[in-house]
Amino acid sequence: MWFDWSFAPVTTAICTTGLTKYYGAHRGVLDVNLEIKQGDVFGLLGPNGAGKTTCIRMFLDFIRPTSGTISVLGMDSRADSVEIRKHIGYLPGDFITYEKLTSGELLEYFVNLRGDTLTKAKVLADRFDLDLSRKIGELSRGNRQKIGLVQAFMSNPELLILDEPTTGLDPLLQQEFHKLVLEEAKAGKTLFVSSHVLSEVEVICDRVGIIREGALITVEEVAALRERALTHVAIEFENPVSPSDFETVEGVTEVVVTEHKMSCNVTGSIDSLIKAVAKHTVHKIESAHPGLEEVFLAFYNDDDTEKEDYYAE
Amino acid sequence: MLSNIYLKTLRDSRKSVLFYSIGSISLGLYVTLFYPTIRDATGFAEFLDQLPEVMQSLIGDAETYTTAEGFLNAELFSFMGPLVIGIFAIIAGMTAIAGEEESHTLDQLMANPISRTNLLAQKIGALLTNLMFLSIAMWVGLTGGSILAGFDLSISGTTQAIISQYALGAVLGLLALSVGASTGKKGLAGGVAAGVGLVGFLLDTFLSLVDLLNPARFISVFYYFNSNDVILHGINVVHFLTLVAIAVTAIAISLWRFERRDLAN
Repeated sequence: MWFDWSFAPVTTAICTTGLTKYYGAHRGVLDVNLEIKQGDVFGLLGPNGAGKTTCIRMFLDFIRPTSGTISVLGMDSRADSVEIRKHIGYLPGDFITYEKLTSGELLEYFVNLRGDTLTKAKVLADRFDLDLSRKIGELSRGNRQKIGLVQAFMSNPELLILDEPTTGLDPLLQQEFHKLVLEEAKAGKTLFVSSHVLSEVEVICDRVGIIREGALITVEEVAALRERALTHVAIEFENPVSPSDFETVEGVTEVVVTEHKMSCNVTGSIDSLIKAVAKHTVHKIESAHPGLEEVFLAFYNDDDTEKEDYYAE
Repeated sequence: MLSNIYLKTLRDSRKSVLFYSIGSISLGLYVTLFYPTIRDATGFAEFLDQLPEVMQSLIGDAETYTTAEGFLNAELFSFMGPLVIGIFAIIAGMTAIAGEEESHTLDQLMANPISRTNLLAQKIGALLTNLMFLSIAMWVGLTGGSILAGFDLSISGTTQAIISQYALGAVLGLLALSVGASTGKKGLAGGVAAGVGLVGFLLDTFLSLVDLLNPARFISVFYYFNSNDVILHGINVVHFLTLVAIAVTAIAISLWRFERRDLAN
């Protein structure tokens, strides 16, 4: 056939050009150019105060850019804001809402405002074991966050904007949350997740943007980012070892040996180190997830002035 | 009651509206049931005539004080009535937008597909509806009390006075709502509206006795509310429309500012 029916144009979910926001004289974000395609699972990573929430609140038209443009789902963030929000589910890190309502009443209210039904909300509430009859003000932070989660996902939005979504969740719930996110991603939804923890975006995102002091420094595939990241490894051996056994291993730096204990940093894959370690009898092995600081260090390891700036903050 | 913002706002304020309405009925009953005691007291009118002008300005017109409408004008519509309606209106107005913003519930509400203008319109609607409940309650207290106490009360005059008082409440409430929506600051909103009410009251009563300040009555909202003693002489259309114009201006400013500013997190 002359026309390919399987052709589906990939449109952008979020596109910003020269996006800049000042709060009076204070910097919000500076000249952010970002393109997120529909179906992407994108993570915005940066320390607190870097401008993540500023970006998100501009996408939702809570605040307005000082300059630059934002298009969300192909529409103008300001002129078509109401239409855009029909297709967005939003969850902030600290879900604050009407404390006098019960969880059930809040969901009913928001469903009504969206002209929607409670069907999916009930399914999600069951899944996250949310008691719909309790007043929100009486709930723990984790339970409040569950309501936030349910309301963000309940209207089957095309685009999910999650601002530090798992801050208040316990590890079990975090896992369930990650599962939900991956399901939505599989269903073709676009997800925009902000976080200051690399491990979080690592689990769910394909691509990560790093934002620092209001500027988007880089956008990378998660795999590429992981290669630059440092992992701290500490190993306890049966017998004493010598530093020279490990110093030459690919990616390994800062080897410290005290009799039968060894610690070091590994850049990228730890495979080579594991193979070197396997020659000895190992009692215990600990590996710490690379923190954002290390990722930044990996980023700035060629540029000492930047590094000093970062630590001077 | 959770199907839209208007009904949700009425739901949130149902307890306070109930208590204020009970208060308004009680106030209406209290002044009407008390009136026969004053009417029947001998020499009261003469006593009033001898009072200094300052005291008279507080009590109202000495000649009409012993008539039912004159008494209600002095005892209810000069101070207590507008006080009750005004306090309710200012609190409701300052919390409408700025209250949600300061308690951090506005972000989540606005994540739903609602325009700011729509939000504002529903909040204004709820404020005006609640003020109506209070006004009706006071009207019921007054007419009911006059029946219980067995005297004739001008229904037309009373209704017009209640309507004029409603307009004053709406002006104060919408001022608070407007400042709150324009700035996001609840305290500032309440302060500005209460200041306009209080200064207006003073300019129209005590301060109007100071020759130098007398012309300033015209900037007082109380002047437009009741300077012509509405319950006795009916609504002065120009005065009433002035209150309406202030209310409309307050709404227009809030729409214009709220649509353009950043919401606080």
